[in-house]
Amino acid sequence: MAYMSMGEAHRRIMEYLDRFSDAVSSQDGASFKSLFAVSSNSHFLLSLADALNIFHDAPRLLKNSDNYSQFSDIILPLFRSLQSYRQSNLLEAYTAFEKAANAFIQEFRNWESAWAMEALYAIVYDIRVLAEKADRELASNGKSPEKLKGAGSFLMKVFGVLAGKGSKRVGALYVTCQLFKIYFKLGTVHLCRSVIRSIETARIFDFEEFPKRDKVTYMYYTGRLEVFNENFPAADHKLSYALEHCNPKSEANIRMILKHLIPVKLSLGILPTNRLLEKYSLLEYSDIVQALRRGDLRLLRRALQDHEDRFLRSGVYLVLEKLELQVYQRLVKKIYIIQKQKDPSKAHQVKLEVIIKALKWLEIDMDVEEVECIMAILIYKNLMKGYFAHKSKVVVLSKQDPFPKLNGKPVNS
Amino acid sequence: MPSFQPAAVNSGDHDGYWKHGGQSSQIHHTNPIPPNYQSPLDLNSSYDKFQDQPTTASSEGANLHLPPPPPYPPPATAQQVNQMTMQTAPSPSLDTKRVSKLQIPTNPRIASNLTFGQPKTEKDSSTSSPAVKTAYIAVSLPNPSEKVPSNDAANSILKPGMFPKSLRGYCERALARCKDEKQMAACQAVMKEMITKATADGTLYTRNWDMEPLFLIPDEDTVNKDGSPSSTNDSSLPKYKRSPRRTKSRWEPLPEDSPVLVSNDTVKYSSWLPNQKDRKLVAENKENKEDGLRNTKFSPFLQRTSNKAPQRAFKKQRLADASENGDASSDSDKEQKNNHFRKRNAGAGNLYNRRASALVLSKGFEDGVSKAVEDIDWDALTVKGTCQEIEKRYLRLTSAPDPATVRPEEVLEKALLMVQNSPKNYLYKCDQLKSIRQDLTVQRIRNHLTVKVYETHARLALEFGDLPEYNQCQSQLKTLYAEGIEGSYMEFAAYNLLCVIMHANNNRDLLSSMSRLSLEAKKDEAVKHALAVRAAVTSGNYVTFFRLYKAAPNLNTCLMDLYVEKMRFKAVTCMCRSYRPTVPVSYISQVLGFSNVAATSGVSDEKDTDALEECSEWLKAHGANIIADNSGDMVVDTKASSTSLFVPEPEDAVAHGDANLAVNDFFARPPL
Repeated sequence: MAYMSMGEAHRRIMEYLDRFSDAVSSQDGASFKSLFAVSSNSHFLLSLADALNIFHDAPRLLKNSDNYSQFSDIILPLFRSLQSYRQSNLLEAYTAFEKAANAFIQEFRNWESAWAMEALYAIVYDIRVLAEKADRELASNGKSPEKLKGAGSFLMKVFGVLAGKGSKRVGALYVTCQLFKIYFKLGTVHLCRSVIRSIETARIFDFEEFPKRDKVTYMYYTGRLEVFNENFPAADHKLSYALEHCNPKSEANIRMILKHLIPVKLSLGILPTNRLLEKYSLLEYSDIVQALRRGDLRLLRRALQDHEDRFLRSGVYLVLEKLELQVYQRLVKKIYIIQKQKDPSKAHQVKLEVIIKALKWLEIDMDVEEVECIMAILIYKNLMKGYFAHKSKVVVLSKQDPFPKLNGKPVNS
Repeated sequence: MPSFQPAAVNSGDHDGYWKHGGQSSQIHHTNPIPPNYQSPLDLNSSYDKFQDQPTTASSEGANLHLPPPPPYPPPATAQQVNQMTMQTAPSPSLDTKRVSKLQIPTNPRIASNLTFGQPKTEKDSSTSSPAVKTAYIAVSLPNPSEKVPSNDAANSILKPGMFPKSLRGYCERALARCKDEKQMAACQAVMKEMITKATADGTLYTRNWDMEPLFLIPDEDTVNKDGSPSSTNDSSLPKYKRSPRRTKSRWEPLPEDSPVLVSNDTVKYSSWLPNQKDRKLVAENKENKEDGLRNTKFSPFLQRTSNKAPQRAFKKQRLADASENGDASSDSDKEQKNNHFRKRNAGAGNLYNRRASALVLSKGFEDGVSKAVEDIDWDALTVKGTCQEIEKRYLRLTSAPDPATVRPEEVLEKALLMVQNSPKNYLYKCDQLKSIRQDLTVQRIRNHLTVKVYETHARLALEFGDLPEYNQCQSQLKTLYAEGIEGSYMEFAAYNLLCVIMHANNNRDLLSSMSRLSLEAKKDEAVKHALAVRAAVTSGNYVTFFRLYKAAPNLNTCLMDLYVEKMRFKAVTCMCRSYRPTVPVSYISQVLGFSNVAATSGVSDEKDTDALEECSEWLKAHGANIIADNSGDMVVDTKASSTSLFVPEPEDAVAHGDANLAVNDFFARPPL
């Protein structure tokens, strides 16, 4: 930290205060915004923090001027937050920031127009980021991290301020998305429901009117929720929307969307090209795709095992596991094709023992009963048309389209 | 500053209520920032949302305080106040009508403060003898008037000659204690002196009169001048203005509270007042300051407000935090977490509010209304049991635990052994284990014994199929294991997994439980089994499921039991759809776990026929169409059955959904 004279420090603080009151009086959202981004590490705010650490009498400065004193509830904790952030005291930085944010919300309510929306965005973003940092600090000190949760309840309040009628509603989706981030991180996704309901049932405000950026994020998260619910058509719709509208330049985001969209598409019977997987470095899926193409149960199981942690964390493990039935289907279909080449008249009768042998060849040891069960499930789920004759242990396939393609429809459950 | 914040909420509340009461005119011009109004209102709504009890409590509170027949009825008191204010300054005095009217909006709010329930309150209630209480009623007015001290101060600076509202409140309180004219006169003299002095040394506006201890009535002036730290704090910023109040301990007894006064109203209140003995106890304690709290004599008494389990209190605390944070004017949460006790100690507004809460609180628990009391100093209150009885029936505590009925650890150990070896039924054991758990909890014993007790109870509950009880144990075990106390971690990890699979039907939970398993855990037999069961359930593989069912380690079977019916029905539905023309009942019986003998072995002993019988009964009950084939064996006609299957109403269904609570069971319960 370069040496800063008392006068210089005073000047900087005054500059900040001037900017603040100028922004408010001219309702200049853009410059107002820059005054709140504590975690942005902007030069302006960092040097302000240094100034505050030298010049301790900022409260008096504020108090003495009518221009600022009405905002002291916002500015004083904000200053404290900046100072603490500069000193890497993240817990205190968060706590003070939350206070400033609360005071800000009070002001924001009273501004009739939504001119300060950008500043609100900055605050909403920063409170989440600071909470995450504070939690990391807490955890490293062996204390229970709970600030992110606190940030979540704060954002719920912000949501309440925005969710009504009027021009401020346009910001509701941004807050929702930040809430989603928190809830997903905390593993409390069930809390998303109320926010979603409020967004999706509002008749006075069309979803399309929200900013594109927020719509994409919103669709991404709600799509992921649908993955949890195994509602694949809905998940497909939402994630595809996110993919279509996502900025093509932000590859990281596209990758995140694809990470969830690919398993969904797979379970709907739609396979990605290898090029896609390579381009977005999603090669963990390539073995799975391969297994589906070849009916290679062993490959599928191995791929699931190899990437188990990753798939569990991203929440697609169970989806991928369910692909097993499609792999069985593929396997029986292959046997059927081979039989057809040998003797077309008997091809529609697949003996259980042949299937067992094929599985053995894949080094998967299953007995008659187990395979019989799988065949029954395949027929039951309409992945195979036909019936199973228990006495003769034979799968009798329908002569017409014995292996219906899913073509974007989910497997019957 | 941090430690000074919490009371902001309180004052905010009053603000809000003040406004509700339609008495906001005074505040409007003193409050420079309009948005401040909104926050307390918000707070209100969040209270309503999160906490039901306080709502009832508050209305109760209102009833309690509204029709008070104090020794000096409010009008009289108010007149005195008027007199007083006239004497000291030509300030706009409140007319009597208004005073009594004002109490109405104020009191419920005070009662709502219970949300932040304070251990202190118990003491307060006891400290305040009936007479003091009645005095309180007359003075409940000042509470709202302290809402934003800075504004008051600012206001009074703006209009010279007007005394701070808090001072007026102080005077009212002081006068309200007086028993007769003589005392009244003495008090007025003392106050006059005080005010003159305060005016002289310039602390009249800065001193926090709300916190100022009242002087003793017999004219010894024991006013603690040091007790007004605000005299050194001249900051005019609102936040700092509030601070002095908090620097004083709320545990500090008020000298004027001597429980010596008795009035006719005693009868009226005595039903919910602490008894004479308690009061004496408190009177003794009043001599001690903060450490008086730790006095053992005191603790059971205090705990009466804390009879709810600690977790519950903490839960409330969290909720409370949330709403506290919600207040813009509150700088509350700074050290809430790390210094719980001290914060409560130093924080939380006006003593008089608290006394009010105490009244309602004490009333509340007499009525069995539960209160959130989250700021108990648990260390000081921990009970040390002395009971030597091994057997003890469970009774949900409605008051502080009595050490004489609580068993110490070594006795509990014997009690656990006794339960484990007891030939009696589950209901007896459950009762005993619950009382053991209670004794452990009130003594805050969390060690290997605690784990053993919960494990034992969880296992018994599983065997009996008492899931609610099992779930309680499981969640306790989760935290106990997390604290590093050893136990059968793997066994219960497996149960946990199975539980999530069978009942939660929540993929998100399942995924998180799965990802939390360590590599070591995944190698454990029980956990491996649970994971295999999971795979069988998600894929609908009934063959694997019933094989695992038969090979289940520990009590995994018990949890699987709960899913058997569902799995069987799914399986039969599947079979009826995919098998043609028939499926032998013997095969179904074997695959779906009715019989142990493989159908192909040809061995058909008695047990197998029983199983076959059971299976066909089950199939019939579920609407399957059973016919005899050419060789006379029973088979299911799949085509006919595929449209006729249904899930019958469970025979043992009870209206309230918990078969364990069936009346018959209750009667069957042997006398203990």
